[in-house]
Amino acid sequence: MTEAIWIVAEREPARINPVTFQLITKAKAIAKGKKVVVVLLEAPDQQFEQAISEYGPDEILLGQNVAYAQASDEVMAGALTTLAREYQPNAVLFGATPLGRSIAPRVQAALQTGLTADCLDFFYEDDLLVQVKPSYGDNVMCEITCPDRRPQMASVRPNTFAAEKVAGAMPAITPVEVAQTTGPQGRVVDETVRVSHATGIASANKVLALGRGAATPADIANAREIASRLGASVGVSRPLTDLPDFTVEQQIGQSGTTIAPDFLLNLGVSGATQFIVGMTQAKLVVSVNRDAQAPIFAQSDYTFTGDAAAFITALKQRMN
Amino acid sequence: MKIVVCIKQVPESNNVKFDPVTHNLMRGGMSGRINPFDKNAIEAALRLRDAVGGEVALLSMGPDSTAEILRDGLAMGADSAYLLSSRAFAGADTLSTGYVLAQAVRQIGNVDLTLLGRQAVDADTGQVGPIMAVNLNQPQATYATQLTANGNQLTVVRDLDSLTQTVELPLPAVITVRAEANTPRYETPLHIQQSFEKQVTIWRDTDLDLDPEKLGQKGSPTVVRKVYAPEAKTRAQTALPSEPAAAVDQLLVIMQQHGLI
Ligand SMILES: Cc1cc2nc3c(=O)[nH]c(=O)nc-3n(C[C@H](O)[C@H](O)[C@H](O)COP(=O)(O)OP(=O)(O)OC[C@H]3O[C@@H](n4cnc5c(N)ncnc54)[C@H](O)[C@@H]3O)c2cc1C
Ligand SMILES: Cc1cc2nc3c(=O)[nH]c(=O)nc-3n(C[C@H](O)[C@H](O)[C@H](O)COP(=O)(O)OP(=O)(O)OC[C@H]3O[C@@H](n4cnc5c(N)ncnc54)[C@H](O)[C@@H]3O)c2cc1C
Repeated sequence: MTEAIWIVAEREPARINPVTFQLITKAKAIAKGKKVVVVLLEAPDQQFEQAISEYGPDEILLGQNVAYAQASDEVMAGALTTLAREYQPNAVLFGATPLGRSIAPRVQAALQTGLTADCLDFFYEDDLLVQVKPSYGDNVMCEITCPDRRPQMASVRPNTFAAEKVAGAMPAITPVEVAQTTGPQGRVVDETVRVSHATGIASANKVLALGRGAATPADIANAREIASRLGASVGVSRPLTDLPDFTVEQQIGQSGTTIAPDFLLNLGVSGATQFIVGMTQAKLVVSVNRDAQAPIFAQSDYTFTGDAAAFITALKQRMN
Repeated sequence: MKIVVCIKQVPESNNVKFDPVTHNLMRGGMSGRINPFDKNAIEAALRLRDAVGGEVALLSMGPDSTAEILRDGLAMGADSAYLLSSRAFAGADTLSTGYVLAQAVRQIGNVDLTLLGRQAVDADTGQVGPIMAVNLNQPQATYATQLTANGNQLTVVRDLDSLTQTVELPLPAVITVRAEANTPRYETPLHIQQSFEKQVTIWRDTDLDLDPEKLGQKGSPTVVRKVYAPEAKTRAQTALPSEPAAAVDQLLVIMQQHGLI
């Protein structure tokens, strides 16, 4: 029997969280002959298996039940535990989203195995899944393994890997029946989507990031105007979330959002470790800072040493 | 309502250093403090107690020095505290930690609600709460920002970043609390004074009903096999012209070359 790497699909009310696609691409790259299997639990009318298929997993285990439309952690974890006992996967991967990080440890505890939180990388050494994760607020990296028990479980930070579609992919879709989860459980009475994904920085193609060196009302207004011209989203370093203009939803970094845009322009951001970890996947990085020694420069493809306000004003003028 | 709040001692600062020779983590000299999110959990417990009556007990697993953070929690207004301290617990990963804490909650007895912080700021897993819930066969609500008691049920609002979820939980239950839930109260001189009269019960491994196979390193499936400083990857750092107008012109050319505009 070929062993499998499982990816638990994260279903949001109206879409699959992109971390699921990112995990499929990454798992295929490291699988070394193991099957890449997505486990999808959805309501019968949702049909998210189509979106998932495009990323080319070998198989989709599809559980459909009206109970999964708005399911409690207990119901989701119960079903996944039952399936894992039946199919005995070698590894089980979740997105390290709040939901993934809530359900994964329930499955872990039920299966009495190890779970590594919030991984930034993972690879196989023979049968051992080496999981690389940060700790102490991303100041330290560690390698964690689970030598003696199976499955090997990890949650993986969103936007750490690129997702790639596979042309003509036709994964096997295997329907599975799972008995109703019994035992004490919560009842989900409401779910409201909080951010509009179209404008969120997590999935933006272009991001303008403002730091304390570009935080005057004029800087912010000008940056917003430039962003709307470029089709970019405005993100911020943590201190700016204290301003009425921004919340943690626009915050880039360890305690905010990890971004992976094609273009990132940092304006007056110093480049603290906690900020940097949120932007390492950006493709083209340009940074503006008046301090030639600012750590952000080391993480930049192009640099401008000088006043952020002057740069922003010049850019706005060119856009008009 | 009988509430237990689990609190963890974490290093004073996350600015850990490496020994340049051995590459080991140098944690010496860092005194401990209460995990910041756990103060939000204590505050949530105290507010529930104020609203519906009952008692709040603190629970921590750690070395004997952990008694200090339990005193801090008592000085916020908690009623009693339990310290789980034994060599047998050393090296526990989340699975083992969640098991031991759950067994302690059972031993405390008649606990309606177990509260935790959303995650510890050092290891950052957030796994202990859900693991306790499974061990106690209870439902959970993680990342809570609002808790409202109504009878034998709790209505909890969860902030799941992209999603706000409201869930009704039958009690007993386990809840982990986000910082957004509240602002923890300060210790008052009166409470500090009273905290020294309150009892800190110390339990060793032999005081609890525990399976020795599930304790410490032996009961921990995960192995931390290597710890190192993140490698600093750097990029090209090509300087743009020093004149803003010229710099912006060049930026736009570069963006065009990359197909960005
Ligand atoms: C546990 C923890 C988690 C954290 N999480 C995050 C996180 O997720 N995201 C985050 O961003 N931070 C986070 N932080 C905070 C982080 O450590 C930094 O304090 C923060 O990123 C600094 O923001 P900044 O670069 O805007 O401000 P500063 O560090 O103050 O830097 C301002 C920069 O602007 C430059 N500057 C000033 N004036 C001008 C000007 N006129 N023109 C051009 N340049 C100018 C300065 O040279 C400086 O480099 C976290 C901290 C901790 C302890
Ligand atoms: C660098 C490093 C990385 C690690 N990575 C992992 C990993 O990926 N997987 C893994 O299984 N273990 C890991 N561990 C082990 C883990 O730190 C311990 O198991 C720890 O006892 C509990 O996990 P946590 O700190 O992540 O707690 P979390 O689950 O983040 O804590 C959540 C809440 O649980 C409560 N709590 C946690 N610990 C205690 C306690 N001792 N007493 C009372 N209440 C408590 C608090 O309310 C806290 O807010 C790691 C340890 C280190 C040093």
